[in-house]
Amino acid sequence: MKQIQPRDNYLGARGWVWAGKYKLERHLYVLHRVTGLGLLLFGVIHLIITTFYRYRGEDVWESAMSALSNPGFKVGEYLVAAAFVFHALNGLRLIIQGLGFGLGRPAPPIYPYQDALRKKRRWTIAMIAVIAVLALVLLGDSIAGGP
Amino acid sequence: MRATRLHLLHMLTGVLIAVFLGIHMVRLHLDSILDWFGVDTTASTSWESMIDRASEGIWAFVYIALLAVVLYHALYGLRGIILEWKPSVKTGRIITWSFIIVGIAAFGWGTYVPLDLLLS
Repeated sequence: MKQIQPRDNYLGARGWVWAGKYKLERHLYVLHRVTGLGLLLFGVIHLIITTFYRYRGEDVWESAMSALSNPGFKVGEYLVAAAFVFHALNGLRLIIQGLGFGLGRPAPPIYPYQDALRKKRRWTIAMIAVIAVLALVLLGDSIAGGP
Repeated sequence: MRATRLHLLHMLTGVLIAVFLGIHMVRLHLDSILDWFGVDTTASTSWESMIDRASEGIWAFVYIALLAVVLYHALYGLRGIILEWKPSVKTGRIITWSFIIVGIAAFGWGTYVPLDLLLS
C-alpha cells in the first residue's frame, strides 16, 4: 500500500524572510519579527549611549547628540518610530486574538445548523429588495424621460 | 504551565511598553504639543534637559520600569526566535540562562545609572 507522505510545508529558518504562499497574517508575522529585532538593536545602542556617554560629561554628550542628528541617523530614527508603531499595533492585534476576544462562544452543532448564510439570509433578502426597488424606480424614471 | 505564564508575561510587558514608551516618546519628541500645554521642553536631548529629568524621581521610576519591561519583552522574544532552531534540551537551557544573566546585568547597569544621578 502506498504510504501518503505529509506535505513538506515546514519553512524553517528560511520562513523568517520568505512568507511563502501564505496570506496577509504571515507577512505581518515576518514584519513583526523584523521590526522586533530592529527595535532590539536600537535599544542596545540607546542604552549604551544614554549610560556610558552620560558619565563622560557634558562635552562628550553634546558632541554625541550632534553626531546623532546627521541625516543618516535621522532616517534611522524615523524607521525606528515606524517600527515601534507597527510592532505595537500588530502586537495589540496578536494579544486580542491570542486571548480569544471577539471570537464568540463555541456552540454545539444542533440541527438545523446555524451558519452565516442562514443567519444573514433575512438581511440579504432585505438588501436585495431595497436594491430591486431602487433599480425599478431608476428604470421607470429613465423610461419616463430620464433624470 | 511555566511556558504559558512566561508567554502571558510577554503579552503583559508588551502592553506596559506601549504605556511607558508612549510617555517616553511624547516627552522626547512631541515638544511643540507639550509646549502648547505649558510643559517646558526646550531641546529634549540637551545636557541640561537630560540632567533636569535625571534629578526627578518620577523620571527615574519611568526609566527603570521601562527598562525592566523592555528587557523581559525583548530577551524573551529573541529567545523564542533562537529556540526555533530546535537546539537540544541542554543547549536550550544554556541559551535561556545566558539570556537571564545578560538581562540581569543590563538591568543592574541601567538601574545603577539613573539612581546614581538621582541620589548624587
